[in-house]
Amino acid sequence: MPTLREMPLVDASVGRSATFLDAARALTEHGVAAVAVVEDGRVVGMFTDDDLLRGLFPRYLEQLRHTAFLEREPSALGARLDAAAAEPVTAHMREPVVVDVETAAVHVAERFLHCDWGAVAVVERGRFLGMLPQLEFARAVMASRTDG
Amino acid sequence: MEWLAAGIFVAALAVIAFEWVHRTKVALVGASLMVILGILDEEHAIEAVDWATLGLLTGMMILVGLTERTGVFTYLALRVAQLSRGQPLRLVFLLAFVTGVLSAFLDNLTTILLIVPITLLLADVLGISAIPLVLIEILASNIGGTATLIGDPPNIMIGTRVQELGFLDFIVNLAPVSFFTLTVVTALLFLVYRNQLRVDPARAAEIERLDPARDIRQSKYVKRSVAVLVGTIVAFFLHTPLHIEPAVVALTGATLLLLVAADDVEHALERVEWSTIFFFLGLFVMVGGLEQQGIISQVAGAIGEVTGGSRVGEGMAILWGAAVGSAMVDNIPFTAAMIPVVDELAGDGPFDDANWWALALGACYGGNATMIAAAANVAAAGVLERAGRPISFVRFLAIGAPVTALSLVIAAVYLLLFQL
Repeated sequence: MPTLREMPLVDASVGRSATFLDAARALTEHGVAAVAVVEDGRVVGMFTDDDLLRGLFPRYLEQLRHTAFLEREPSALGARLDAAAAEPVTAHMREPVVVDVETAAVHVAERFLHCDWGAVAVVERGRFLGMLPQLEFARAVMASRTDG
Repeated sequence: MEWLAAGIFVAALAVIAFEWVHRTKVALVGASLMVILGILDEEHAIEAVDWATLGLLTGMMILVGLTERTGVFTYLALRVAQLSRGQPLRLVFLLAFVTGVLSAFLDNLTTILLIVPITLLLADVLGISAIPLVLIEILASNIGGTATLIGDPPNIMIGTRVQELGFLDFIVNLAPVSFFTLTVVTALLFLVYRNQLRVDPARAAEIERLDPARDIRQSKYVKRSVAVLVGTIVAFFLHTPLHIEPAVVALTGATLLLLVAADDVEHALERVEWSTIFFFLGLFVMVGGLEQQGIISQVAGAIGEVTGGSRVGEGMAILWGAAVGSAMVDNIPFTAAMIPVVDELAGDGPFDDANWWALALGACYGGNATMIAAAANVAAAGVLERAGRPISFVRFLAIGAPVTALSLVIAAVYLLLFQL
């Protein structure tokens, strides 16, 4: 089984003072499901693709269970991004899921299965190393089996 | 022991009122202390639980949860908004009355959780502030819920505890006064908020572009779900002549719906709010402790002394006392404690329903006074906060307290003219 050190980590992070737009750009540019929010090298939060969607659309959307009636989108619902862009990322981030670089692959798999998005932050002695996408993790595990 | 029992109960009420700890935890800790400290023995603790109330609540949660999945309630709210054609007066009255009626026949907590997110969206589409509309809906849901046995938790507790009172008795004695109160309160609130509810005609036209039936057309079990829900409500009307308890009606309806409209039972049962069920369970045990220690009898005796045994005095004391108590604490624990008091006041004489209506009106209307007074208010405040539009305790109080005072005056006049 490969160690986390051997896996391709993505250096996807923003500072604590970043805006929603900064975090959204980092997320889309790196193509990962979550970016770390970092302060002094330590992970203080995580901004995920769910958080991006929540910022792009009205917050009550999550509490609506039926929206097919909005087949033709009313004009009033499109303005949310302008309002959210300058908001601090800290208002949108969530508790991070962090694993140490020495963690066993089975524990990392368990973490992935119990978090709702596809990337975890990898740290070494508390300092951020990079984001590990779930698909890259699975690919590395499969490759090690094939090689073996 | 009686001081200890009273102390535990009052402390629990205080912690619930100040929201220091989740109310379910408080009720369960209180109940555990009552039993562990020997205030109430285990046998009496189990006897103290009103299983009929828990059954009725659970059954309705399953019924409403499964029906909600079909989108039928969203359809109703959207059609109502379209009927208003963006005219503020029509919009306010239609939303208030659809909320009131849904609250009466589902329950007011569920109604609020269904209607508030849709209202937020409608307000965005219409380009008006959502807060006035949501406040009107909260107040309408507590008033509408007063109309039936299943509309509001205090009524559910009264209806399941007092065998002489059936579903139709609640409708006959409480629906007319609830309807009148709702009309007066809605008109008043429209006057207060009319300047914030002016709709641009171009925005009003956007409401017409919504297609309310689209969700229903995509739904698999809409006909079955609505049929079972309507059938259950009809069965509530008939439960007295059929000699079936309301809890049996609700649980039978829920079972039928599970059979015909639920592919996954585990998923369907997730609709049961277990925290609410355990909250009630803890409360019943705590109130059982008060009864066991004779505190309920003492409170009833004190009310009897203050009112001099006068029927009018007792009715008014229960109405206003229940409203103040519900406003300060939460109408569920307060009603749980008051039910045995009202029972005790009745003594062994012929059955008199007046005090029960006074309790129902006081507790349900009192639920409008503060943001913490009723479960529906707390739920609506939570939805608003998650939507990024929080409402402060004081802002709610500024509308809730006068509306409650007005509602209670209406209730007092009604009781004096028709019940006492």
